[in-house]
Amino acid sequence: RGLAAGPEMHFGFQTVTEEERREKIYRVFETVAKKYDVMNDSMTLGIHRVWKDILMHKMNPCPGTLLLDVAGGTGDIAFRFINYVRSVQQRQLQKKLKHHQNLSWQEIFESYQKDQFKSLGDSQVVVCDINREMLKVGKQKAQYLGYSEGLSWVLGNAEELPFDDDKFDVYTIAFGIRNVTCIDLALQEAYRVLKPGGRFLCLEFSHVSNPLLSRLYDLYSFQVIPVLGEVIAGDWRSYQYLVESIRQFPPQEELKAMIEDAGFLKVDYENLNFGIVAIHSGFKL
Amino acid sequence: VRCQHYEPLRALQASAALRRASDEHKKEPLTSSSQQHFDSPPAGHQPEQEPQGPHPSYTGQGGQESEDYESEEQLQHRILTAALEFVPEHGWTAEAIAEGAKTLGLSVAAAGMFHSDGSELVLHFVSECNTKLSKLLQEEQKLVQLGEAEKKPTDEFLRDAVEARLRMLIPYIEKWPQALSVLLLPRNIPSSLNLLTSMIDDIWHYAGDQSTDFNWYTRRAVLTGIYNTTELVMMQDSSPGFEDTWRFLENRVADAMTMSNTASQVQSTGEAVVQGLMGAAVTVSNAETSRL
Repeated sequence: RGLAAGPEMHFGFQTVTEEERREKIYRVFETVAKKYDVMNDSMTLGIHRVWKDILMHKMNPCPGTLLLDVAGGTGDIAFRFINYVRSVQQRQLQKKLKHHQNLSWQEIFESYQKDQFKSLGDSQVVVCDINREMLKVGKQKAQYLGYSEGLSWVLGNAEELPFDDDKFDVYTIAFGIRNVTCIDLALQEAYRVLKPGGRFLCLEFSHVSNPLLSRLYDLYSFQVIPVLGEVIAGDWRSYQYLVESIRQFPPQEELKAMIEDAGFLKVDYENLNFGIVAIHSGFKL
Repeated sequence: VRCQHYEPLRALQASAALRRASDEHKKEPLTSSSQQHFDSPPAGHQPEQEPQGPHPSYTGQGGQESEDYESEEQLQHRILTAALEFVPEHGWTAEAIAEGAKTLGLSVAAAGMFHSDGSELVLHFVSECNTKLSKLLQEEQKLVQLGEAEKKPTDEFLRDAVEARLRMLIPYIEKWPQALSVLLLPRNIPSSLNLLTSMIDDIWHYAGDQSTDFNWYTRRAVLTGIYNTTELVMMQDSSPGFEDTWRFLENRVADAMTMSNTASQVQSTGEAVVQGLMGAAVTVSNAETSRL
């Protein structure tokens, strides 16, 4: 194994080279892509939906926001974003109409016509993922659920985003930054593509400080999850990688420092479920 | 898991929005020096560089860290001030803050720095109003000291001060009930109470109050009551130029003055009664002794 050059990195609890790590991770997600959502639900007992909803509420996007969802694979965040923006737009429209009490029927008809075409109010979300299989599953899901407007799918690497500078209002990466080879690069790219005033949001598994809970969590992670992986997806190795990579990921404070180093200001994190998951937020000011 | 060979570039990057503030001020010396070099400004040419930010940028040699830290707050203030313009349309909400951020050239996501209920916006506005009032009263005091104006009697002074402060609400009067409810949120009560008490304190200070006894509390309580009730009356006043509100204010201040007069009258009457009783007791005891 000494042929491949490059620094040693971790792949779960194994030590591999950078190139190997990238390949292995690609293969992990290629294999699990079709069962990704099912596994998420069974591993976290459906709580991952709540985490993603909390992320969306924290973002509180208004119509006209441009979102870049990196490692967004199967589109969970993107769909939530579209739903949120749509409902905000509806509420605004209702408020506007309430004030105009004396409109003629013609005017009311026209106002509905105008806004029909902009049910999202110019908001857009770009889903970027390095893995073709995950994007395929995401596109299928979008078609199945009926999401078409304001959504685009791009194949790209988080360390080298195929976008111009100062383009996006919000950059999110949900449960993806763990798999990036070099986190600092990804953070720098995030800084680059965000507009001034733009927001960086990262939803990721993190470290539990409570000792009792930590032990229960470890027990669950190492005993239950790989078994679920084998039973449901037929692949315990990938889920072994998953739980190991969570342990290898930097804890909350360290990630906060890394985000600040990339140039973000007002960096803060919020623990969900005692630290099982944390949302880090920073602004490009 | 820090990558050894990818050093963070922070030292080389200045932050995006702050760079603008310092750039604007860098541009000014450049234009003037270029004029000197090329030596051909057309006669009467006005430098078109107008300072775009109302804030001075602290481009000192002091460490980057402290400069950024200071300017984060400044930037937040700038966003909130810009957001006030949109309050009549959107109310005291995160949407107004987002619009304000847009006018400064920032992304709408910058509104995420603040709470989604618009608390900071309301508190910022109240604090700005109090500062304005303070300055107004200070200038008035200066005029009195220079002898250019007469010192107003207390009731007129209080009336004018409260009226001036309440007039600052007029542009936002439609959405002010919403602001009041935001100020009453449990999370905001410490700050809003603080702002209210310091404003009342300010007014009394400029009114010349130097009491060090219980009067200090009574006066502030009374004025707080007057201010709050007048504010509420103003909310549902539809008379032209808010005449009803000012008349209400006048009556309340007059009441307060009468009350304090009555209080001192009661006190002196009480003293007089006590003295009378003492005198009667002395007379009776003298009468008793003289009889014996």
